[in-house]
Amino acid sequence: MKVSVDQDACVSSGQCALTADDVFDQRDSDGVVELLDANPPQQRLRDVQSAAAGCPAMAITVRP
Amino acid sequence: MSVAAEPVQLPLARPNVLDLAPLYEVLRREAPIAAATTPAGDPAWLVTRFTEVRDLLGDKRLGRSHPHPEQAARITTAAIQNGPSGNYDTEQADHTRMRRLLTPAFSAKRMRLLGDYVQRLVDGYVDQLVTDHAAAPDRVVDLRDGLAFPLPVSVICRLLGAPEQDRERFHGLSERMANYAIGADAERARAEFSEYMTGLVEAKRAEPGEDVISDLVRAQSADEAFDYAEMVRLCVGLLFAGHETTVNRIGLGTLFLLTHLDQWQALTADPDGRVNATVEEIMRLGAPGELGLLRYAHTDLDVAGVTIRRGDAVILSINAANRDASVYADAETFDPDRAERNHLGFGHGAHFCIGASLARTELRIVFATLARRLPGLRLACTLDELEVSPTLTGSLAALPVTW
Repeated sequence: MKVSVDQDACVSSGQCALTADDVFDQRDSDGVVELLDANPPQQRLRDVQSAAAGCPAMAITVRP
Repeated sequence: MSVAAEPVQLPLARPNVLDLAPLYEVLRREAPIAAATTPAGDPAWLVTRFTEVRDLLGDKRLGRSHPHPEQAARITTAAIQNGPSGNYDTEQADHTRMRRLLTPAFSAKRMRLLGDYVQRLVDGYVDQLVTDHAAAPDRVVDLRDGLAFPLPVSVICRLLGAPEQDRERFHGLSERMANYAIGADAERARAEFSEYMTGLVEAKRAEPGEDVISDLVRAQSADEAFDYAEMVRLCVGLLFAGHETTVNRIGLGTLFLLTHLDQWQALTADPDGRVNATVEEIMRLGAPGELGLLRYAHTDLDVAGVTIRRGDAVILSINAANRDASVYADAETFDPDRAERNHLGFGHGAHFCIGASLARTELRIVFATLARRLPGLRLACTLDELEVSPTLTGSLAALPVTW
């Protein structure tokens, strides 16, 4: 799967990092999303999709 | 049932603490942005459909402040979400600064590190409930006093650096501030809470700790644009929202699970595997309070065929949006296995609940632990017997359970 994030849209809620901390992190300074893994293994699909669905800024795109 | 030409009179009475007024379904379908009359008697727009509630939550053309606050529609006589707040000219800059200050303290990483501490607390409260259960002649214990209340209070006190022994005092003030049935006493409670918080703030200034209130005191003294009264208001807001909301959500979640015993049994069979989805469904369907999130239009805007004028009050009904049948299959059914995984239980956009990671951490640990340790848990009363206080967060006075 391919994951991308929009750091300009991000509102620093950290919900992606709470849901899939192997794929997403938050910048220490301002909490903005950082993508740790743009091509996570397929078995992470459910959590990554939950992170995208739960993003309050709709800043995460997932292509299975 | 159809929507009358008259404005909808708020609040809409609900059948019980878990269900909403049936009129919401009609409003979503026929008048997703409806003219309403607030409990205070002023006009407002009531927004009920998921798409519009979500989009308006993320829309910078609305805000918490009002261009002419003295002319703004009032919502209730409570001292929270009752009318405009903040400065119209500086709202966005103030909000950005506030989020920048607070985001690191509530980050996902920090909350995950807090998990072991929360687990120890929950285990301790459950130990005590087990002891009390064995000693009670009727084998009934109060889950509200024994777990739902003390846990969020203890955790937010640690994060903010507030003294836990003051909990009855600040909880009493919180309940009065959020109460819309006591007239001017709600505003008096806000004044008393500010006075209490000013004392705490000054104690932190003299002796700073590693906590959020100390951080805010430091930031305020270093920034001329950061008003002292605004800092105190923010600290009051954090202590209020940091406990009241989660106390209620633990209560609502317990009620959903124990009135849907198939879902409770599924959770007890696989607590770790099912708890996250269960908590999300509790966040979606749990509907505290009778109103919604309050905004004021900062410019004229057209939404779903309705023109909202600059200065109009807009009530965004999270409760109604989260049960929108055009978004959720069997929207009124408590179903953690549902395919839809998004909801507005923590809001949306720039004002998204800053404590969401904290709340999710607490709720996941609470419900996984209850399922593991008290699989025979049952309600010891009917829904109708539960006393719900007339506050914006609709808190339960007690939650009698047995096993």
